[in-house]
Amino acid sequence: MDQLYIVYVDDQREILSTLEKDLKLFEAHVRLEACESASEAMQLIDELDRAGDHLAVLISDHIMPGQSGIDFLTAINNDGRFFTTKKVLLTGQATHKDTILAINNARIEKYIEKPWKSKEFTESIQQLLTQFIVANGIDYTAYQAIVHQPTLWAYLQKNT
Amino acid sequence: MRSIKLLACIAVPMLILFLPTELFPVTGLTVIEKRVIALFVMAALFWVLEPIPIYATSVLIIVLELIMLSDNGLLIFRNPGKAEGFGELLDYKAIFATFASPIILLFLGGFFLAMAATKFRLDQNLARIMLKPFGNKPKNVMLGLMIITAVFSMFMSNTATTAMMLSILAPVLALFPAGDRGKTALALSIPLAANIGGIGTPIGTPPNAIALKYLTGDQAISFGQWMSFGIPYVVIMLLIGWILLSAWYPAATTSIRLDIKSSFIKSGKARIVYITFIGTILLWLTDFIHGMNSYVIAMIPVAVFITTGIITKDDLKKISWDVLWLVSGGIALGLAMEKSGLARNLVNSIPFASYSPYIIVAGSSLLTLIMANFMSHTATANLLMPILAALGTSVGNLTGMGGVTTLILTATMAASLGMSLPISTPPNALAHGTGAVSTSNMARVGVVIGLVGLVIAFLTIYILRLVNFI
Repeated sequence: MDQLYIVYVDDQREILSTLEKDLKLFEAHVRLEACESASEAMQLIDELDRAGDHLAVLISDHIMPGQSGIDFLTAINNDGRFFTTKKVLLTGQATHKDTILAINNARIEKYIEKPWKSKEFTESIQQLLTQFIVANGIDYTAYQAIVHQPTLWAYLQKNT
Repeated sequence: MRSIKLLACIAVPMLILFLPTELFPVTGLTVIEKRVIALFVMAALFWVLEPIPIYATSVLIIVLELIMLSDNGLLIFRNPGKAEGFGELLDYKAIFATFASPIILLFLGGFFLAMAATKFRLDQNLARIMLKPFGNKPKNVMLGLMIITAVFSMFMSNTATTAMMLSILAPVLALFPAGDRGKTALALSIPLAANIGGIGTPIGTPPNAIALKYLTGDQAISFGQWMSFGIPYVVIMLLIGWILLSAWYPAATTSIRLDIKSSFIKSGKARIVYITFIGTILLWLTDFIHGMNSYVIAMIPVAVFITTGIITKDDLKKISWDVLWLVSGGIALGLAMEKSGLARNLVNSIPFASYSPYIIVAGSSLLTLIMANFMSHTATANLLMPILAALGTSVGNLTGMGGVTTLILTATMAASLGMSLPISTPPNALAHGTGAVSTSNMARVGVVIGLVGLVIAFLTIYILRLVNFI
């Protein structure tokens, strides 16, 4: 219960393993789960929600067999259980039209273009994770080693 | 690990509860007093080991007191057999009243001021103006930052002040070349000044409020009186801290530029905030003219901000109830110890009267300092203040040294000086999180500041005695 999750979805194994490396920093504090398709991810997050855990960050590729990333993220955006989940689109092939849909319908918090720079990527995720933690009233002190400091400061300035 | 801690925190007090009263080395111990001992031990274990958040422990204390010690508690706890040596049950209304003790409302007033100031960027703007005269030399900028941090933490929470100052400082820290020790000095100066600044006013930090709770009647101290010794103390300690940091961690960089982007808001609401802020402080300092005490005055900003919509319904939900309840629990614990007679009984069963009063004062503040380094400052004060208050009133040879007032004030200052570890205070943890301060940097500065601070605290109280202030 109350475990934080970062779930990442991509149909290419190589991408998943690069993501795994880039997210390693969070490993000790957050559960990291890789999925190869939207349907697999949906099943996983259904389960974690039932267990009382939190889907903090969801990272998804766009072009995948089955449901597309933007459709998947839109479904998550409209799902009351995941209102506060931070959504990231990770893609190299989204068209202009896709991008508009991602912003307007899926309400993504971050658009990351492939190939990405490891350092910038981790910092983005750190930032989103911290935003999720403070927005949901989760005790930040347990995550002090991985939180994005400036995001935490901005919150503490107004809330203590 | 957490469950082992939790088990210890529950098992030990339970054991005390089931021991016969004759086994305790306190003469004439009543059943009620024994329950208070169990409660106190439980509180101490919970606050030290922290298997649950510290404010949760406070709530637990209050509820357990209501059930086990009050005149409206569970029937079996209310001496059904009319046994001898049971002791007096506590008035349940007195226990409930700890939630709305004047001390708590004084803090609430402080929270309203701080919240309104932040909302209308008064803090950012003041920081910008106050920092200007300090120029660009790292050493001078550090002094400026320390003064601003200390002043703000007198009215805002130490954590919020630190968070704000670190976010101002962070862009500059990032520009420092690797290996420049000046970075450590700057990052460390913020929590140091925030912790020390809290001593300046009664609302600076929760331990001060707890101290006020035990300084009543002839010992009562007004807001202005507190500041008359608090501010000089803060000034001296800041100077010592500044000299220490600039000597130990000199900056190689010759010039830094802090950029605070902010401008004064000129709306009607903002003006109300400025006026109320200044007005409240002036009222606090002039109680001898108008007759309202600091607790009554604290409700004025609450009324002004609520009626003018400066603090909205949504803002109300952001009030740090955890801090208020943490203090309430401490007051409730103190209440139980005092009203059951336990505090006095405990003190009497140890031959304190045969000890030198100097040892008692030095020992109690040193104990406070040590505890405050390892656990929450407020929890430390919650545990120790009731005992010190009883000690001060019942040990005769302390009266020559200022009795309760001396004991409580030195311990209060000591509680704020616990800052040698990242876990000592939230401001320390935040500074450690920047990566610019190692634990050993922090320990080196914290230990020296703690010990020097104690000596200065003794001197302060000594001077206050000389001028017949206490």
